[in-house]
Amino acid sequence: MTESKKPSNRRKFLTHLTQVLGGVGGVFSIIPFLKTMSPSSRAKAAGAPIEIDISNLQPGSYKVVEWRGKPVWIVRRTQNMIDKTLEDNNQLSDPKSLEEHQPNYTKNKFRSINPEYLVLLGVCTHLGCSPLYKPNAKSKELGLDWKGGFFCPCHGSKFDLSGRVHKGMPAPYNLEVPPYYFVSETKIIVGENGDNV
Amino acid sequence: MNKYILILPFIFYSSLVGASANPELQTVLIDLNNKASLQRGAKIFMNNCFGCHSLKYQRYVKFIDHLSLDQETIETNLIFTTDRNGKPTKIGSLMLNAVNPDHSKESFGITPPDLTLIARSRGPDWLYTFLMSFYQDESRPFGVNNKLYPNISMPHVLWWMEGIKKPINSDLSEFEYVKKGNMTEIEYKQSTTDLVNFLTYVSEPAQLDRYRIGFWVMIFLVIFSFVAFLLKIEYWKDID
Amino acid sequence: MNRLMAWIDERLPVSNFVKNHLSQYYAPKNFNFFYYFGALAIFIFILQIVTGIFLTINYKPDAAQAFASVEYIMRDVEWGWLIRYMHSTGASFFFIIIYLHMFRAMMYGSYKNPRELLWIFGMLIFVLLMAEAFMGYLLPWGQMSYWGAQVIISLFGAIPFIGESLALWIRGDYVISDATLNRFFAFHVIALPLLLFALIYLHLAALHTTGSNNPDGIEIKEHKDENGIPLDGIPFHPYYTVKDVFGLSFFLIIFAFIVFFLPELGGYFLEKDNFVPANPLKTPEHIVPVWYFTPFYAILRAIPDKFGGVLAMGLAIFVLFLLPWIDRCSVKSMRYRSRIYKILLTFFAISFVGLGYIGMNPVTPILTWIGRLFTLIYFGFFIALYFISPKEKTKKVPDRVTTHE
Repeated sequence: MTESKKPSNRRKFLTHLTQVLGGVGGVFSIIPFLKTMSPSSRAKAAGAPIEIDISNLQPGSYKVVEWRGKPVWIVRRTQNMIDKTLEDNNQLSDPKSLEEHQPNYTKNKFRSINPEYLVLLGVCTHLGCSPLYKPNAKSKELGLDWKGGFFCPCHGSKFDLSGRVHKGMPAPYNLEVPPYYFVSETKIIVGENGDNV
Repeated sequence: MNKYILILPFIFYSSLVGASANPELQTVLIDLNNKASLQRGAKIFMNNCFGCHSLKYQRYVKFIDHLSLDQETIETNLIFTTDRNGKPTKIGSLMLNAVNPDHSKESFGITPPDLTLIARSRGPDWLYTFLMSFYQDESRPFGVNNKLYPNISMPHVLWWMEGIKKPINSDLSEFEYVKKGNMTEIEYKQSTTDLVNFLTYVSEPAQLDRYRIGFWVMIFLVIFSFVAFLLKIEYWKDID
Repeated sequence: MNRLMAWIDERLPVSNFVKNHLSQYYAPKNFNFFYYFGALAIFIFILQIVTGIFLTINYKPDAAQAFASVEYIMRDVEWGWLIRYMHSTGASFFFIIIYLHMFRAMMYGSYKNPRELLWIFGMLIFVLLMAEAFMGYLLPWGQMSYWGAQVIISLFGAIPFIGESLALWIRGDYVISDATLNRFFAFHVIALPLLLFALIYLHLAALHTTGSNNPDGIEIKEHKDENGIPLDGIPFHPYYTVKDVFGLSFFLIIFAFIVFFLPELGGYFLEKDNFVPANPLKTPEHIVPVWYFTPFYAILRAIPDKFGGVLAMGLAIFVLFLLPWIDRCSVKSMRYRSRIYKILLTFFAISFVGLGYIGMNPVTPILTWIGRLFTLIYFGFFIALYFISPKEKTKKVPDRVTTHE
């Protein structure tokens, strides 16, 4: 048997080269296995943007449509409701929507492109229940200082008429606004940003 | 020495694999990199075939990358169906058509089969020969028969391109045209090639990727094998 | 690092394992080309498990959804096509490797004392592998999947008395159906892989107990140096680890070529009829099992009686188990055996490949007679071997291994 001596430079070099090339090959081989778990064409097709017709929506009422398995609300706010959102409201935790839960084009007090139509994901930012629509101010159950908005029955989180979360709630963030745009005055596409982004 | 005799059966074997090609079939040149051909084939298919034959495993949206078409072109020129609410079929959808299997069974005696995989189960040469093999036969319900698939229930949908030919001898080896089509013989052959090209793509879209990626994989493996070989001999110098 | 290894070694004998089975495990230094296949078999087994797991993520084992789910994998799942092709190509290559691996044993007498149990474990792996491949093939639920399974399971029906009940029990239904598909899925994905894993472990344990044979058929442990190390032995690591890395990369060139450029291999690795969904009302023109079963299928068809054919096919596999006791020659390697043994082995190999060819083709009168001839040669090999092996005129077996320069 050969006596153990220090491996030659050639041997060390070739060993390292093989290891490096093998490592590179290994990484490239793993990539397809990791990527294969990302959403398939079927998932992407099911999660594609949807078109919503708002022509029949009455002022003060709202419509629910499903997108990517979640409820999307479109609320047609009355002038009264729009005015309320413009008032200073010290009940709110993030009145200027500084946290990123809406697209840039809805970073305003209305949290929408058009003040009349509010588009929100109806998923409470606490643990995912779907809050209830409570537009009327001063309700018996929600208190005299309730100005209208959304109320989550699971753990009591309150949101205003723009979906902004009240202070001290279990929910940490404002309700999420999905990407959307107006195709026409009566049609909204939810799921992607429009050209004017 | 004796163990090398064992190679003989394999050589015998492999020569027979090559000889198994059907001598009756015409050969067609498939070129999946010819996007223009694939686009023409897609158009021919959607306009002539899709009414009866679905492509239920293929999605329209794949044509963007694979056929170099943009979304609007596909939606305008290739999508003709609507969903249950009357909205146009979305581009991400599978290519299903409106055929009711019971109705088609009554009309044709058989439900027109889905064609997504036809190019894999029959082969491009078979498809090409099939489309070339329709001839006039008044005894059949649609007035045509097919030399490659006798007594098929399918009409010669592309007759308006090819025209209709009548056999002049009993073994169906020679024909003459009794009705002219819109295309010359060369044009029809090209269109049929385009259609078969398209169906070959649809039967396995992965073809486009695997040749391209495979090339680089082979290069890497050859280089790696060479380095591994040098490493092996270096270590084996130790052994007498 | 050394402290970490020391901590682990106090709790799990990792360093000892590496010493005993790699860096101080001695293998004969004269391994040739035929000795790559064991390591390659391990690699392919792991590849099939890994690709199999990823296929299971998206495959639906339901008769109404199976075929479509395979096309979903091929088209809509990212990189699904590659995983599918690696699995289908891997299955065929598993058999190429195993047949060459087994043939090595026949050339060099690797099944002889003290390696009989090693051979038995290997034969059990072979039988389980055939079952695993057979069940896996039903899963795509194509025409060939369905009808191939129909034919083979009806063979069980040919067994007298218990046949029909047995076939019914295997199928879980009166005909191949969703019930059959579901149970084949369960067996293919978990039951048989676990059994295979256990048997491969036992196979390797038996190997490391006796040590490997070699092309000269010499027991290297008979000549050791003053430290107890076989004179013709070399540590498996680094010499055979380095050699197997090269072997693997060369193998991968061939494997990758098929996966990326010829995954169907002219209809032998992926059969054309399997791109048509299973139709219980329409039988394909030619029902052929996948190429790796065709030698045994040819033997089955060679016997005119249905049950006789099943017996012959079973016997063709069973007789291989008995090789260590059929071959009574004391010389292991064909290098030092009689001329007649080499001729017999050559005929055996030709008959096996010939039977494979015949099994792939539709029945014709000529092929039937040639198939019967080859079947006689196949069994004839074992019968002749039994009688000639004790009295073979062997050459003198050297003391030390020979390495061909």
